[in-house]
Amino acid sequence: MRASFHRPRSTTASSPGGIGTARGSRWHVPWSLAALLVLPLPALATSTTFTFNVPLGFPTPKVPSDNPMSVEKVELGRLLFYDVRLSGNLMQSCASCHQQELGFTDGLERSVGSTGEVHPRNAMSLTNVAYAPTLTWASPILRDLENQAMVPMFGTEPVELGLEGREDELFARLQADGRYRRMFAEAYPEDDERITLANIVRAIGSFQRTLLSGNAPYDRFILGLDDDALSESAIRGGNLYFGERFECFHCHGGFNLSSSVTFEGQVFEEILFENNGLYNIDGMGGYPVPNRGLFDHTHVIEDMGRFKPPTLRNIEVTAPYMHDGTITTLEAAIDHYAAAGRTIPEGEPNAGDGSQNPFKNKLFIRGFTMTPQEKLDIIEFLKGLTDREFLANPRFSNPFDIACPGDCDYSSDITVDEIVISVNVAVGAASLAACVSLDENSDGEVDVAEIIGMVTRALGGCSGEVAALPAH
Amino acid sequence: MLEHSRGWILACSIGVCAILGSLAAAQTAPMCVGDADGDGEVTVDEIVVSVNNALQGCGLLPVTLQFQAMVGDEAFACGNSYDGIGTAGDRIFPADLRMYLSNVRLLTTMGTEVPLHLEQDRIWQFQDVVLLDFEDKKPPCGQGTVPVNTTVRGTVPPGDYSGIRFNVGVPFGLNHQNAATASSPLNLTAMFWNWQGGYKFLRFDEALDLVRVHLGSTGCEYGQPGRITSCARPNRSEVYLTNFDPSADTIVFDLATLLADSDIQANDPDTPPGCMSDPDDDDCDILLRNLGVNFSNGLPDPSRQTAFRIEKHAE
Repeated sequence: MRASFHRPRSTTASSPGGIGTARGSRWHVPWSLAALLVLPLPALATSTTFTFNVPLGFPTPKVPSDNPMSVEKVELGRLLFYDVRLSGNLMQSCASCHQQELGFTDGLERSVGSTGEVHPRNAMSLTNVAYAPTLTWASPILRDLENQAMVPMFGTEPVELGLEGREDELFARLQADGRYRRMFAEAYPEDDERITLANIVRAIGSFQRTLLSGNAPYDRFILGLDDDALSESAIRGGNLYFGERFECFHCHGGFNLSSSVTFEGQVFEEILFENNGLYNIDGMGGYPVPNRGLFDHTHVIEDMGRFKPPTLRNIEVTAPYMHDGTITTLEAAIDHYAAAGRTIPEGEPNAGDGSQNPFKNKLFIRGFTMTPQEKLDIIEFLKGLTDREFLANPRFSNPFDIACPGDCDYSSDITVDEIVISVNVAVGAASLAACVSLDENSDGEVDVAEIIGMVTRALGGCSGEVAALPAH
Repeated sequence: MLEHSRGWILACSIGVCAILGSLAAAQTAPMCVGDADGDGEVTVDEIVVSVNNALQGCGLLPVTLQFQAMVGDEAFACGNSYDGIGTAGDRIFPADLRMYLSNVRLLTTMGTEVPLHLEQDRIWQFQDVVLLDFEDKKPPCGQGTVPVNTTVRGTVPPGDYSGIRFNVGVPFGLNHQNAATASSPLNLTAMFWNWQGGYKFLRFDEALDLVRVHLGSTGCEYGQPGRITSCARPNRSEVYLTNFDPSADTIVFDLATLLADSDIQANDPDTPPGCMSDPDDDDCDILLRNLGVNFSNGLPDPSRQTAFRIEKHAE
């Protein structure tokens, strides 16, 4: 436990009624406190323990031993994730291609990097990425989020964030920002040099591990919390999904409705890449370059067209689908599997009968017939995997868009507890990660003006009139 | 000491020996006698040095190997263009040229390989790896760094050396480490190759993207205990040069020779320009061969290497 805020004992005009004062009474900032705020902040000696908000029925995510979770790292990572300073030309952040409301995808067929270069692949959802043993569509070796983050940052084929060779410039950009200086110091108090590549990717990885989604109507239904969470149609669709005619669950199963998962305590890790019959451009199972799946890595012919089956959580909002975004709707995706693969007619690019791809998973992708109602039902079920709370959770949102500075718990009002937090942050007794929005001018300090503004909002309400700051 | 007419003798004067000896004693005596590099253990290499010292009566000798990047007869420089490149005689504008060398060995006139122990500056040299950096960030080399490095610095026992062997590549044990926490020179993001799980061993870029050469291990496999355990194609080149006086000669890396057998305008369809070490990119065949790698299996083949050569200096 760290020291908590103590009310100033003897100041002039201390607030009538103290901190628990009723709304409407006037708050006077004790000026001895104001004097404190100009003193250098002592770095916190310890990090704040982070507790995963693990959805009911989910295991605990696995965390790398060299990057334990902390509140400070998660909040720092969130800022970095949304910060365009992480691109060479200041045009993009991680969030440009991983947008929360789209399940951390971008809605594009194929993503576009900061310099306009089109990526060969569709942006991967970050929903429950903490449980993913492999992270990308076709790499068997990108296993941890820290390492993976360096691919979009520094990769050149294609250029994504465009930071290759510009790491010192990146460090300088962050060093110039008082808020980052403080947050790196509080996230990595034991390090002499804080703003480093290792610490940047550790923070981003820590934030990504918090992106847990397990509160869809499907979850509330199967946990018995709400028998009405899924419609009759969706329940019928669920039976198809988990049945041996549609076979969906073989590659999209388990708590994460994904191919394979990793979690704390797991002994054996299963890695799965599958060919689902999307292409067959040469009649011999070929996929178009540069999207040949696992084959591009291993050059083993049987790996042709094998891609990672993603989680189907939030699949409703992550269109278009497949590794190259060439299936535009859920309906078309169901049709694809019903046909046991996709046939692209002669004369069109990449023509061929994917259902005859020799490397396809023939056991599970063998096609099925369905009635129009069954198609509606299974899509209704898939829509029941959409976790609206996850897609709108303010803790995963852009921290540079501050709706109500000082509303640390995103409750849309400012409470006395939050005022206590603000003073603790101001005097260095709590880390800025406790309430990033307090630091409105991002100088790394919470000053008197910011506290007064916050108190004004506490009294006047976040959404209501915000009085001008009193001169002092 | 044996003397050979073909060899160049690296020896030290008595005065230098005395200084080296006393330096070594001052550093190692309190810790562990015989631990020349101060790492807390006495290795076979260090015993070899001791035996050499016993036989030849002298300590390790400092050696600075000189490298130079050329394009035919012209010195490599960012901002220059070079004509007559490749089989079609094209013009290129180099935009980067860096490479990691490792496992540097001097060869005695008897053919014995003697490891060069690299000075550990942790700037250009770390453990067994050195970065040669011929670019100076001048346009179009914008992704580079201003400092350049054209030397390899280390020590060898005194001897009669007339050849050299080295790898272009990062040794396996360092290639798949966490790049984010790596020591310089393995912390340069422009040399990262995270999507392949390692580093670019050699990087040559061209401003108009006519041709690129990125050498590195491919097809790496992930195994227990949670790391890359092997690579299908290591693509670590081996270079073997003879008639080499380490104290006077320069080792030239010649881009024109590397590209001499390629038509750089003609790209294998559906592959990137030049060679990114893709086993399916037939453009790689000649380029890897000229670097000292067998394209068909990714193993070293110094016999057909042409990009490196010795340039003699008038004495």
